[in-house]
Amino acid sequence: MKVNLVYTRLRTEERMIADALRARGVTVETHSDAGMVLPLDRERWGDGAPVLMRSMSFTRSRYLASILEVKGSRVLNSAHAIATCGDKALTTLALAAKDVPMPWSFLGFEEQAVVDEVDRRGYPSVTKPVLGSWGRMVARMDSKSAAEGLMSMRFEMGGAQDHVALVQQYIDKPGYDLRVYVMGKAVGGIRRRSEHWITNTARGAMPERYDVPPSHAKLAELAAQAVGGDILAVDLLETRDGQVMVNEINHCVEFARSIEVTQIPLPELMADYVLGVLR
Amino acid sequence: MQPQKLDSVGVNECPTCAAPITGDRFQVGEVVTCGGCSAELEVVGLAPLRFAEAPEVEEDWGE
Repeated sequence: MKVNLVYTRLRTEERMIADALRARGVTVETHSDAGMVLPLDRERWGDGAPVLMRSMSFTRSRYLASILEVKGSRVLNSAHAIATCGDKALTTLALAAKDVPMPWSFLGFEEQAVVDEVDRRGYPSVTKPVLGSWGRMVARMDSKSAAEGLMSMRFEMGGAQDHVALVQQYIDKPGYDLRVYVMGKAVGGIRRRSEHWITNTARGAMPERYDVPPSHAKLAELAAQAVGGDILAVDLLETRDGQVMVNEINHCVEFARSIEVTQIPLPELMADYVLGVLR
Repeated sequence: MQPQKLDSVGVNECPTCAAPITGDRFQVGEVVTCGGCSAELEVVGLAPLRFAEAPEVEEDWGE
């Protein structure tokens, strides 16, 4: 049994996943995405073994998964799941199609039209880039002047692909958000606590143990089904009055900052899931 | 032969502090910590063994 592991950088996560696979008797061949140059045809890639896509780059992982699927490889996560989860607008749309509870949101393409709609909905609200991660460029708009400033920057800078404004309801969280790991079914989760309203561990939020209740597990599984992924991290927002909604879904699950605290054996769980696919 | 510096890339050494780094089990893309200055380094070549300071973030990186 063999797995091709595609990576951008061999981080703690990739090493641990590879070790867990090898401990189960799986041969792991690693491939740096920087060196991959693939013909755009249906010719099988290598031995056709399943591919575990661990590229950190959304651009590279989306294209590589798409190419490898045409070549007949089983890719985890699929190109469709990567393309959907890597784009917050498409993620939200996939969730909407399945009536998954989430904050209200809208998409706009012109500065004044977006400011007008933000103003109509009221403050605060949140704007984030459709492509991006680790909490970068996520901003809270507390007033019309903030909305005008942020939208001016959004539409004055970058290229056409940047001139898309995603605006989302601001959720007054009780000092944390939740992340549920889903591999077919929910396998565990973490609570990310922060005094800041942005609760990415990449931005300093502290991971805590969190025993996923059945209602949260069911919601996360529904969200995972909506985007069609194999190995995902579903971010949930809890309101102060106990409502739970889906915020985002991550297709290249990171855990280096949290595994020591939470003790969820994610590398082993991932390896078991991949083993199930191999069989 | 003296190691050479190429555009802030260290050959068999840390590009930040010049501490020697040797080994034969590295992979391109692997992130290592320099024992001399604790800099996060990325393996960018194997023959010769070349290290660059590991970028913390790229525009489309992340989960």
